Amino acid sequence: MREQFETFMRNYQNMVYSTALRLVANSAEAEDIAQEVFLKAYERFADLKDSPTAGGWLRTVARNMSLNHLSRYRLRWSFFSELTSSSQDEDAPEIQFAAPQELDEELARADRKELVEQALQKLPPTQRIPLVLYHLEGLKYEEIAAKLNVSLGKVKTDIFRAREVLRKKLGARLGEEMGSESLKR
Amino acid sequence: MNLDYEKTLEAEIDRELKTLPEISAPGTLISRVMARIELRAALPWFRRAWDTWPGPLQGVFLVAMLALFGGLCFGGWEASHTATFGLAVHKIGGWFSGFGALYSALNALAGAIFAMIKQINSAILIGFLFAAGLGYAIFLGLGTMYVRLAFAKR
Repeated sequence: MREQFETFMRNYQNMVYSTALRLVANSAEAEDIAQEVFLKAYERFADLKDSPTAGGWLRTVARNMSLNHLSRYRLRWSFFSELTSSSQDEDAPEIQFAAPQELDEELARADRKELVEQALQKLPPTQRIPLVLYHLEGLKYEEIAAKLNVSLGKVKTDIFRAREVLRKKLGARLGEEMGSESLKR
Repeated sequence: MNLDYEKTLEAEIDRELKTLPEISAPGTLISRVMARIELRAALPWFRRAWDTWPGPLQGVFLVAMLALFGGLCFGGWEASHTATFGLAVHKIGGWFSGFGALYSALNALAGAIFAMIKQINSAILIGFLFAAGLGYAIFLGLGTMYVRLAFAKR
């Protein structure tokens, strides 16, 4: 049984860890969350080992544990984010955009996926969390608003702002790939 | 906001994020989890969660708890019909009689204050309430100012 569980963990550990890391943006905390997810999975391993939905179950548990962690350790996250959304987002340290030429060089050097990952991790939590829940976890706006206990309008605004930041970071490249100026404002 | 722009942006960001590969978990994760599992397994059965106890022990425990609960209910019901129980209730009631006297004293005091207020001129009363409200507002304002100054970003 132990060997079976180790194999099970090997198959899913990256998925569970990625889910946690993209939500909490802290590798040590993500590892702790992944550990708790697998300990929970071990208790139900008899049901999970042959289940085709094991991956979905793990992902949901990882997501919920990450959100619980965020609400526990960043006290009253929703309240805080509502208070600071208008001011802090503007005050938040902007990602330093390189000049176009430098950006091209940077893009040429750095691995593109790594760049997207870094840009994602640098987003403020009020933007990163709803963005990840929407695009990577496949939640609807209404579900995100309910989970984070914030208004629907705020969720939409935060996600839009997050996309804008990512667009600015990757803007030049996106514009080229689109073959149009539609994403350049 | 331009709806076409928003939709294009959403689609592009969605594509970017969905093609991100999974991040490799730290090499220590599996060993950490297995160590915790070993630690849990090493605990004696009575220190583990009830649902992980051996089946027969779960059954015995459940029956024992039901018997204890039933015994307590039955014992309590039987005791309530004895003469000793009535005496005990009377005695315990006596311990709290002091609270009744305190309530009566407070009630009389409140009545006296109310009667006194009724004697005071209404203009004086309004003035007093206004002064109290003003004082409260001043303290609230000063408190807010202090908190803002104390926690202001420098």
